[in-house]
Amino acid sequence: MDPECAQLLPALCAVLVDPRQPVADDTCLEKLLDWFKTVTEGESSVVLLQEHPCLVELLSHVLKVQDLSSGVLSFSLRLAGTFAAQENCFQYLQVRSTPSSPCRETPACLWPRRPVSSWCTSWLCPCEVEPRGSPACRGVTGPRVPRRSWITLKSPCAPRPPPSSPVFSSSDGSLWETVARALSCLGPTHMGPLALGILKLEHCPQALRTQAFQVLLQPLACVLKATVQAPGPPGLLDGTADDATTVDTLLASKSSCAGLLCRTLAHLEELQPLPQRPSPWPQASLLGATVTVLRLCDGSAAPASSVGGHLCGTLAGCVRVQRAALDFLGTLSQGTGPQELVTQALAVLLECLESPGSSPTVLKKAFQATLRWLLSSPKTPGCSDLGPLIPQFLRELFPVLQKRLCHPCWEVRDSALEFLTQLSRHWGGQADFRCALLASEVPQLALQLLQDPESYVRASAVTAMGQLSSQGLHAPTSPEHAEARQSLFLELLHILSVDSEGFPRRAVMQVFTEWLRDGHADAAQDTEQFVATVLQAASRDLDWEVRAQGLELALVFLGQTLGPPRTHCPYAVALPEVAPAQPLTEALRALCHVGLFDFAFCALFDCDRPVAQKSCDLLLFLRDKIASYSSLREARGSPNTASAEATLPRWRAGEQAQPPGDQEPEAVLAMLRSLDLEGLRSTLAESSDHVEKSPQSLLQDMLATGGFLQGDEADCY
Amino acid sequence: MPEIRVTPLGAGQDVGRSCILVSIAGKNVMLDCGMHMGFNDDRRFPDFSYITQNGRLTDFLDCVIISHFHLDHCGALPYFSEMVGYDGPIYMTHPTQAICPILLEDYRKIAVDKKGEANFFTSQMIKDCMKKVVAVHLHQTVQVDDELEIKAYYAGHVLGAAMFQIKVGSESVVYTGDYNMTPDRHLGAAWIDKCRPNLLITESTYATTIRDSKRCRERDFLKKVHETVERGGKVLIPVFALGRAQELCILLETFWERMNLKVPIYFSTGLTEKANHYYKLFIPWTNQKIRKTFVQRNMFEFKHIKAFDRAFADNPGPMVVFATPGMLHAGQSLQIFRKWAGNEKNMVIMPGYCVQGTVGHKILSGQRKLEMEGRQLEVKMQVEYMSFSAHADAKGIMQLVGQAEPESVLLVHGEAKKMEFLKQKIEQELRVNCYMPANGETVTLPTSPSIPVGISLGLLKREMAQGLLPEAKKPRLLHGTLIMKDSNFRLVSSEQALKELGLAEHQLRFTCRVHLHDTRKEQETALRVYSHLKSVLKDHCVQHLPDGSVTVESVLLQAAAPSEDPGTKVLLVSWTYQDEELGSFLTSLLKKGLPQAPS
Repeated sequence: MDPECAQLLPALCAVLVDPRQPVADDTCLEKLLDWFKTVTEGESSVVLLQEHPCLVELLSHVLKVQDLSSGVLSFSLRLAGTFAAQENCFQYLQVRSTPSSPCRETPACLWPRRPVSSWCTSWLCPCEVEPRGSPACRGVTGPRVPRRSWITLKSPCAPRPPPSSPVFSSSDGSLWETVARALSCLGPTHMGPLALGILKLEHCPQALRTQAFQVLLQPLACVLKATVQAPGPPGLLDGTADDATTVDTLLASKSSCAGLLCRTLAHLEELQPLPQRPSPWPQASLLGATVTVLRLCDGSAAPASSVGGHLCGTLAGCVRVQRAALDFLGTLSQGTGPQELVTQALAVLLECLESPGSSPTVLKKAFQATLRWLLSSPKTPGCSDLGPLIPQFLRELFPVLQKRLCHPCWEVRDSALEFLTQLSRHWGGQADFRCALLASEVPQLALQLLQDPESYVRASAVTAMGQLSSQGLHAPTSPEHAEARQSLFLELLHILSVDSEGFPRRAVMQVFTEWLRDGHADAAQDTEQFVATVLQAASRDLDWEVRAQGLELALVFLGQTLGPPRTHCPYAVALPEVAPAQPLTEALRALCHVGLFDFAFCALFDCDRPVAQKSCDLLLFLRDKIASYSSLREARGSPNTASAEATLPRWRAGEQAQPPGDQEPEAVLAMLRSLDLEGLRSTLAESSDHVEKSPQSLLQDMLATGGFLQGDEADCY
Repeated sequence: MPEIRVTPLGAGQDVGRSCILVSIAGKNVMLDCGMHMGFNDDRRFPDFSYITQNGRLTDFLDCVIISHFHLDHCGALPYFSEMVGYDGPIYMTHPTQAICPILLEDYRKIAVDKKGEANFFTSQMIKDCMKKVVAVHLHQTVQVDDELEIKAYYAGHVLGAAMFQIKVGSESVVYTGDYNMTPDRHLGAAWIDKCRPNLLITESTYATTIRDSKRCRERDFLKKVHETVERGGKVLIPVFALGRAQELCILLETFWERMNLKVPIYFSTGLTEKANHYYKLFIPWTNQKIRKTFVQRNMFEFKHIKAFDRAFADNPGPMVVFATPGMLHAGQSLQIFRKWAGNEKNMVIMPGYCVQGTVGHKILSGQRKLEMEGRQLEVKMQVEYMSFSAHADAKGIMQLVGQAEPESVLLVHGEAKKMEFLKQKIEQELRVNCYMPANGETVTLPTSPSIPVGISLGLLKREMAQGLLPEAKKPRLLHGTLIMKDSNFRLVSSEQALKELGLAEHQLRFTCRVHLHDTRKEQETALRVYSHLKSVLKDHCVQHLPDGSVTVESVLLQAAAPSEDPGTKVLLVSWTYQDEELGSFLTSLLKKGLPQAPS
């Protein structure tokens, strides 16, 4: 414990035991307890108590004082528990008759109240080293106790059922028999989680696994059976009769049906990627069932039985089930299967994306699932193209995407743009994709969305257009679109300068950084001009994330001008420095010319910490880089230093020092050397409110509470 | 047993981090998803592991409802939906939907910027979270699914704040969120109809306070600001960009106009323009006066209040600056405070609560020497605290309870001690049960669901035909057959029931043996019984049938002679269910024996 805190402690203890003194709110007491926990981790609790007798006094006093607030009582008991976690301290406290036995010393009337249960919580801290399943511990630690503890059969621990569980206590046979019995007699709500738990276990009898998997598949098997038209592909559980309770649940009400299907789909989704999932995994049938569920939801499924007819009515337009089915469908893309499966999945996804009734959340899921299926679709070996299936699908997909880019809900437009960005990021180089995209109106529509009224959509449009442009896909290559191809940079620059919201501006900066990194035509044509223009716009931005992104762009430029950052691995063989592309003075002149130093030095004193931090890192990198050039190493004290140092206060004040390009490289270098960048970096590494959050500040605040909490103490927003 | 269960995960006997779980008729709803400003670690968010230990939240919760945009009611939402993983619907009003992401983004920026917190939700997460939101209109009944419906009511407090009624069948719960029962300068008062919910969950921030008149506080505020600028001082008012800021702006604007003052008023840039934009956009949510006058002049287009530039802070002379954030814990308000704190002519007015760990909290608790950027700063400027938070006081809470007429009340969002006081007041004065669970504690309320039953016209007509006119206040016994068909209940006459269900009627007869001492022959005994009954039952039709048996209405009596005892005769009595009364009477009568025949 530091001396400042030690000095404040006696006064604080006195405040705590005095019921007349107002105590700060519970959060302060919580934080105080946190601090004591940290202190006791670092030093012996006994020594701590010996050095600070006020603590022992506090602990022995709290139970005697009448009218003590329950918060303080709770705190003190938990504090006692924290100390007593060390055995010698437990004995030390017992000797001094502090509340070592709450059952004996705590007034009975307090039992049901908060303090005592909290005492138990902390008193039982040592128990936490025991396995989490220890029922004794769970019993007293309050409401965290899982009510259905028998479901918590979690892999990989061997099944060790808690003895208090009603299911297991009735057991007279082996554990597995009991589990099997439970599986057959539980209702569908509880059966699923238990079945999933069993299937996740590593060591478990095969028969039980089979039974569990059947339980899990039962609802989907029912759905399949109810809708299958002619003897078609194999069902999920051919040859077994439908489970009556499952059918009942599916038919009982809309919510019980949706609930059961959602849970089933979620369980199967969880199971699919696990190594211990049942084998053989009925990929085709599961896909068939999921597709059927989706068709039931959008009303395109044809019922084959009265159950099917009922399901049609129940599931029509059920968004909850649609979402769960789309999630599972997406996961199913990770399994291998024949081409027909891909066709089947893509067909239902297209239906979903096309359907006028699909809700925005469903469309988002449908886009995500489509992306997963497309990116994992089997490609013809040895061929870089997308195979025979995909081009046809893309030709059908883009008109749908066009429609979705014009959707009245911003959520849909945004999800469509995100989908477009992802797809072109992965497939931008594929001829089939390029062909289909450029034949559609998608790029033009995405361009129009740069003016969307919703800022989220504008930002996504910026990202999408940036991506398309990087791959030469932002406008058709025909001559009449030449202007459109060229004006994108200006358009994005305009957004960066005038958009009222941060998201689009941030997105523009990210696009520009990518462009610079990848040598995009607009950036490569006149890189210095490009960087200068962008930095100038970014430096004026009110959003610190835009400014921080500006530094990121500056760092890329720096790397391109001076060579990449050196690795700091101590074991690396010191290679001779790779000669930079141009002589240093020239390179520095270029940096000055684009206004990089102005921007970086200004940012160094930015009131937003991450900007200053990033600038500090950038300047350290620069200094490090320059240090390897002996020619400039001794430039200290050159005549221009004074003028450069004079500009420092102005930078500090946040004013743009001089028009860009005016700085002399030598002066900048001198200033770079004169700054204590390491010191600044360590200061910036601390949070801006580290003083207010310190233990000393907490103690001061708690002591100062007295004068303040008299009026409207329970205030809030 | 049907029941309603309520478990606060936050706001149970505390203010901050509102999050309440409600189970009603098998539906699970989470009310608000707030964060606690006082903590920097996981404790800032509610402990969502309480909700379910197994399975996904999406499968367990039917919906989430957000009452308003304050962070202690919605701050944990992106964490909950994107990091913990909730995929279901989130309901809020249109203004809340518009403003919520702005505040969440601001909160994220401050957390990442000033405190360097990693593992915090990102902008993308806020966006993905907002995509799950379904916006609702006031008084619009929204069907969450076939059984669960919700409805929003105006709550005052801040723009877009709403109380929500959650209803499943005949059971309902009302959650107030934060509300204000007195209109202020830009918002109206909360209102709810007499919806008689099973449970009203109400905030109780000012559970023991009867707040002084708002006018006094406003006058006091204006006086202090005016005096300070008159003597050439600068006034700093740290605010959160939305909410009270607009109220105070209107207040100062009107005062400046009236007094013809020229001293500049500034509002820190960034959020403000956006905030005022939303206030203009959602004019229907403001109070009547603003709605009426906005055609001539929009109250949110301020003449005297200009955007602030950080260079202005060094300008000489008096000025008033509204700066964010409200607790002086970061950003512009803290920067200005540092510059102005050393001058005793200046003043800082804190219009709201500040959590421990902020400079706002320090100066409000009277600390005058602060450490800032490694240097000691002596606070010489005047520090004032004036609460302008718009919550209902004890009177207002009682008024709302009276208005909604709930069966029970549950208090949240307040301090335990004060809740205790209000609980007693509610129980005594309004005679309804009142609960105040702590966080993690579950309150279970049994409910008796009322099931509607239709009565057939035929049955009612038949009842009317019996001559007695129905009386509203007198319950009357009515016999009929209850039919359950297609999830409907109907009470019809038994004939109609038989007809509808295609069933044949079965007669139920009761039988009884009565032993009589009589040495005569059976026929004679029967004759004696006949004449006895004939004489006793003058109003009934008593018949002696040719086969020797006797009937009284549907009651049939036959005499038989048991072989073993010639001195005893057995009377076999049987009657239908309809004549149960008569049958019982006859058997008891006959058990007393027959009158001695004149010999």
